[in-house]
Amino acid sequence: MAVHVDIDRCIGCRSCEVACQRVHGGSCHVRVHFVGGIASVPIFCHHCEEASCIIACSFGALFKEGDRTAFDVEKCTGCGLCSLACPFGIVWTDKIAEKCDLCDGRPEPTCVATCPADALSADGEAAPRGGQVRAGRSASSGGTR
Amino acid sequence: MTKVLVPTVCPYCGAGCGFFVAVERERAVGIEYMPDHPVGEGALCSKGNASLEILHHQERLTSPLKRKGDGWAKITWDEAIGLVARGIGEAIRDYGPDSVAVLASSKCTNEENYLIQKLARLLSTPHIDNCARLCHAPSVVGLNRTLGAAGMTNPIPDIANSRCIFIIGSNLAENHPVISRWVHRAKDAGAVVIVADPRETHTSWMADIFLQLTPGTDVALLNGIAHQIIEEGLIDRGYIAERTRGFEEFEGSIREFNPERAAEITGVPADDIIRAARAYASSPASTILYSMGITQHTTGTDNVQAVSNLALITGHLGRPGTGVMPLRGQNNVQGACDMGALAEFYPGYRRADDPGTIEHFSAAWSAPALPTGPGLTAAEMIGAAASGDIRAMYIVGEDPANSDPSSLSVKRALEGLDFLVVQDIFMTATAQAADVVLPAAVWAEKEGSFTNTERRVQWSFKAVEPPGSALPDLEIICMVARSLGLDFDYPDAASVLAEINMTVPQYAGITRERLGKEGSLVWPCPSPDHPGTPILHSSGFRLADGRASIVPVPYRPAAEGRSPEYPFLLTTGRVALHHNAGSMTRRSPSLIGRVPDLFAEINPADAEKLGIGDGDLVTVSTERGEAQAAARLTEGMKRGVVFMPFHFPGTNILTSEAADPEARIPEFKVCACRVARRD
Amino acid sequence: MIEVDPGLCIGCRSCSNVCPSQNILRTDSGEARRILWKRCREECDLCVEFCPAKALTLVPIDESVPEPELSFDLVACRICGSRYATEPMLSRIEAALPSDSRRDPEGAEWIRACPPCRRRAEAERAAEETVAARRRRRG
Repeated sequence: MAVHVDIDRCIGCRSCEVACQRVHGGSCHVRVHFVGGIASVPIFCHHCEEASCIIACSFGALFKEGDRTAFDVEKCTGCGLCSLACPFGIVWTDKIAEKCDLCDGRPEPTCVATCPADALSADGEAAPRGGQVRAGRSASSGGTR
Repeated sequence: MTKVLVPTVCPYCGAGCGFFVAVERERAVGIEYMPDHPVGEGALCSKGNASLEILHHQERLTSPLKRKGDGWAKITWDEAIGLVARGIGEAIRDYGPDSVAVLASSKCTNEENYLIQKLARLLSTPHIDNCARLCHAPSVVGLNRTLGAAGMTNPIPDIANSRCIFIIGSNLAENHPVISRWVHRAKDAGAVVIVADPRETHTSWMADIFLQLTPGTDVALLNGIAHQIIEEGLIDRGYIAERTRGFEEFEGSIREFNPERAAEITGVPADDIIRAARAYASSPASTILYSMGITQHTTGTDNVQAVSNLALITGHLGRPGTGVMPLRGQNNVQGACDMGALAEFYPGYRRADDPGTIEHFSAAWSAPALPTGPGLTAAEMIGAAASGDIRAMYIVGEDPANSDPSSLSVKRALEGLDFLVVQDIFMTATAQAADVVLPAAVWAEKEGSFTNTERRVQWSFKAVEPPGSALPDLEIICMVARSLGLDFDYPDAASVLAEINMTVPQYAGITRERLGKEGSLVWPCPSPDHPGTPILHSSGFRLADGRASIVPVPYRPAAEGRSPEYPFLLTTGRVALHHNAGSMTRRSPSLIGRVPDLFAEINPADAEKLGIGDGDLVTVSTERGEAQAAARLTEGMKRGVVFMPFHFPGTNILTSEAADPEARIPEFKVCACRVARRD
Repeated sequence: MIEVDPGLCIGCRSCSNVCPSQNILRTDSGEARRILWKRCREECDLCVEFCPAKALTLVPIDESVPEPELSFDLVACRICGSRYATEPMLSRIEAALPSDSRRDPEGAEWIRACPPCRRRAEAERAAEETVAARRRRRG
């Protein structure tokens, strides 16, 4: 599971960033990037199938839970390897690692619920329109990372 | 601990999104979305998501204050109200009631605005206005004249039914972000989107046809489009014959205005003007969305009428997917106008210069001596303060020292008043000039109704108590009124709405009880069993003989043009993460953190000639002053034009006071400037 | 006190983060990261337990041995030049990942770019079609 973005719909309002920050105690797990002054793309955690952040973690703080890449704060030492191992630059380490948890415990990710332009959706939802791409789209074929 | 979810209406823009404030132990602890809300469907923009940051903000005003030397002294409400009564009372005694001016607030509820204008008029001063003057006064004047009603003709979700959406002078993707979802839905069904703007904006990203015009040339563009529509026979002859008057004169007035001439003036290629004309006129349902890019001009009223002309000659009114849609800026700027907090209108858009109006409200309010208008407009009040004609002002929830043009002279004028009382939530630049400052509640600390840009009236509930001894505006207004000898006996907002039901025909059926049961109602709603009127003008116009007016609109250039000394045109606007004068968003950590400073957008080719690199500090100067900003080089900016957002104090130091002759709106969108790198 | 194997230490932030006594000082200054393990008398081996490189050992206090200190050059991002990681950390990640996922679709080594540049590259890839289509509409 991951958050999908329809880039043709994204209006670069950064509501996803502010909403994410609001529900995660001030830390924000999505970044909106602007391309050529004519498009914007929010970059989210892909919750990769073979996640390199999991491979990089020595203590099992990152692990697969269903199709989600989950994070156990108790096991994190803040070494920073996961941040350097993420191909999309979307895992941070301050004192400890911080990453998208798909708003665990909420009915749907907050960024999806709040998106004013209706540009975001989560896996498993009926896609209401064509042309959706996986969040920022996986870098390599098949989205295995 | 039990968590209570309190339904409220977002305090930022005019879209009127609803959300729940989650309350625990009498504190607002979170936001829950409202998926069945008709406008936002649960969505909120960045500002909505950050709105709770101002609720328990440490800089909130928590006590009445009086000026003491260079600083402030905390005082009791009794002392504060006494000072206000004396300050305003002395001005009335010494200089007459029309030496007093009142600014109502487009952030306050309908009930509060109704009371503020009633207070002003019962004091016998005609000088009551609100910051609609700075955003949509030309819509009020222009659309009342051409269509007989000033407001969006169709609801926001109805945009999805449109097959051609013409967005002119509106960056709705940043300023009303939720409206984008409805534009996208129309596009999914094949709608063509036309965007006219001097700059590439997040809104123009959605465009199929982008018309990048020179600031201040909207009439030329719209007349050129109208010319082409008539030339190609794409007008709706039946509609023109049955529903309008003035077509022949209009047709004659633009006979020479072919796309080539329009192209010469606007800088938009003639082919694009022709494409836009065909797309708009030939679609089964076309709508025009506009905002301050149309209104904030010395030709603001002309621009609005030129927009209305396009809709009338093609018959794109009164049906789903059609319309003329002024997108309004503040959460309750529509309501403040409906309630008569305007220099030229009493409640319900009854003309202030009509003896019938005076008679009507004299009877309704049992007041024999009501003032005949029009009074001074918001900007004129400042001029009159500077000249000494206005001696005392009561400013509620507005910040003219930041939001008005040529703001340095505004500050001087406010400081020169004999008495200024400002009622607000933060110590704004305007409050800094006051003698007495009254601490007010924000939206979630009080209840009342708000009217969004599509005329939808919604009730917003109280979630938490105001901080310290701050009070809801309604209570403060009543205290001020009583101290001045007026009989203001309103225990709550519901009691005021009950009076509004009696005195404002458009709101007659919008009762507190129905707002609770039915959620929201769209005016006009003339009786308690009326369902409301989401689409206006479906069966004629509320004008003499039921016909709308098509009016000739000659092209006039903007007040200021480029000169050797000031070789650029400065235009102003907004960004997604801030709102208006910024008193809230510049204090909101998650918003100011993302856009911390004033910037100036400039085309890279212009910048290169001036030796300016991306991120360089520049000084932008006009005849009125100068401001510092960080240069942002962007290909999306038209050559010879500079853009600055007006959320930071620097921008309006630069802007021009030149105003529309009828609507008196200042020309924020065009002035001549020069730019230099700061070394 | 702590003994450090300089051949194993990767210069990460683990030990300095988990030390409850703030006895391990990490400073990133410009182009280098320095880590200083102060002489420690605590009955605690959290840093040893949580060293991902198994580079630390708890040894008896010996005042004659100087406090261990290591310095790591910080690697410059191949795109923007900002210093963002120690070489042993990047090498360790490269060694751990399957070889087919060490390069992005353009064949570049994404590991050698800093996280913000990785996001920018991803945004540019993702928006390519949208940007092209919008530019076409502008003519």
